[in-house]
Amino acid sequence: MARRYDSRTTIFSPEGRLYQVEYAMEAISRAGAALGIRAEDGIVIAAECHTTSPLLDNDIFQDKIYKINDHICVAVAGITSDANVLVNEMRLIAQRYQYNYGSPIPLEQLVSHLCDIKQAYTQYGGKRPFGVSILYMGYDRRHQFQLYQSDPSGNYSGWNGTCIGKSFGVAMSMLKTELANRYDNPEKPLTTEEAKKIAIKVLAKSMEGINAEKVEMAVTTLGSNSRPVIKMVQKEEIERLITKHNEEEEEKKASTSTTT
Amino acid sequence: MSIMAYNGGCLVAMRGKNCVAIATDHRFGIQAQTISTDFEKVFHVNPRTFLGLVGLQTDILTVHDRIMFRKKLYEDRENREMAPEPFSAMISNFLYEHRFGPYFIEPVIAGLHPKTLEPFICNMDLIGCPNKPDDFVVAGTCSEQLYGMCETLWKEDLEPAELAEVISQAIVSAFDRDAISGWGASVYIIEKDKITKKQIKTRMD
Repeated sequence: MARRYDSRTTIFSPEGRLYQVEYAMEAISRAGAALGIRAEDGIVIAAECHTTSPLLDNDIFQDKIYKINDHICVAVAGITSDANVLVNEMRLIAQRYQYNYGSPIPLEQLVSHLCDIKQAYTQYGGKRPFGVSILYMGYDRRHQFQLYQSDPSGNYSGWNGTCIGKSFGVAMSMLKTELANRYDNPEKPLTTEEAKKIAIKVLAKSMEGINAEKVEMAVTTLGSNSRPVIKMVQKEEIERLITKHNEEEEEKKASTSTTT
Repeated sequence: MSIMAYNGGCLVAMRGKNCVAIATDHRFGIQAQTISTDFEKVFHVNPRTFLGLVGLQTDILTVHDRIMFRKKLYEDRENREMAPEPFSAMISNFLYEHRFGPYFIEPVIAGLHPKTLEPFICNMDLIGCPNKPDDFVVAGTCSEQLYGMCETLWKEDLEPAELAEVISQAIVSAFDRDAISGWGASVYIIEKDKITKKQIKTRMD
């Protein structure tokens, strides 16, 4: 008899909405933010970690940013246990493709394959949607650097700069102004170094009290053999970026107060 | 004739002082007919780990791909390099999963542990029974000859240069007495800070 209720987990409401999916998105908009910026020579993703305790042993596991294979890396926002399941699934998908075709999986195929799974969980009975939004960064020779985003409904889209998680609205509008006229603009190409700065600037706005302990960042660039290289940005560098950001903010504040 | 000897080929790995060596022949044939003389049966899987596979050529390629699948998943999940010992255990398990329809290959693993730099060599039969001695391991169509040569030439605590000489002499002399191995050889010497590859010219008949 339980099936009568279980199989009805995600059905349309009389107004034509899928409440379970909307609740899942609500769960994500309370989770730590993650953002991605595509530059000319690489991609940056950065994320806000949960409040860390000094007692927590996080030698091995990262909190928000996961490597999928040698050329794809993702940042997640939402329920961590759900994210772990999806990350494992993505790693399998990537290796299965490599085995079957002898070449690395194109990013969009990975994203679309994973979103098929996410979508299935909004339709079949007895399941709830995954409470996770994901940012994907990757590289392939045809499409160069790519940045994608997906949500619990199974929707996905490609972006130049995007944000998921807590106060993503604020972050998105900030990204919009920061990145205005920076694409297809040969006079002022966006570099990854600059993208890192912008990432910190935007994160600082959407987090209360930014510090290096609470930020994870990863960068994809091209190596000397024109293969992509994924690097986790070290805590020291994040520290430096934050200090620089704070100094600039102070200066700005000082100059505005002298003019007024 | 055994399917293990259909394409021919041989492998040997040896342990030295703070180093290991692995050597392969270059022949790929179909029974007595030689098809090509540039088929190396050794794969560089990690900075200090090599995997050699000898036996049926189609299975060599398939097993290599399937092993790399599992190894990469391990490395992504654990976020560290796979040491040679768990790598061998993984191959052994993989081969035993096909206990009643096996891949017709025999693997040889040689490497240094990424942290402790402890030398490691290992070989298996086609269903994954591991053998981890501290001197040398052999595989392929001239394994008897290789055993003879290794038992004669190998000594404890060989330095990298001496080890290269010993393993080269062993494999060349062994496959000279085998019609379906040979046609050139490659030797890899794995030390903590460098890997040396040597191509050996041999008689081509």
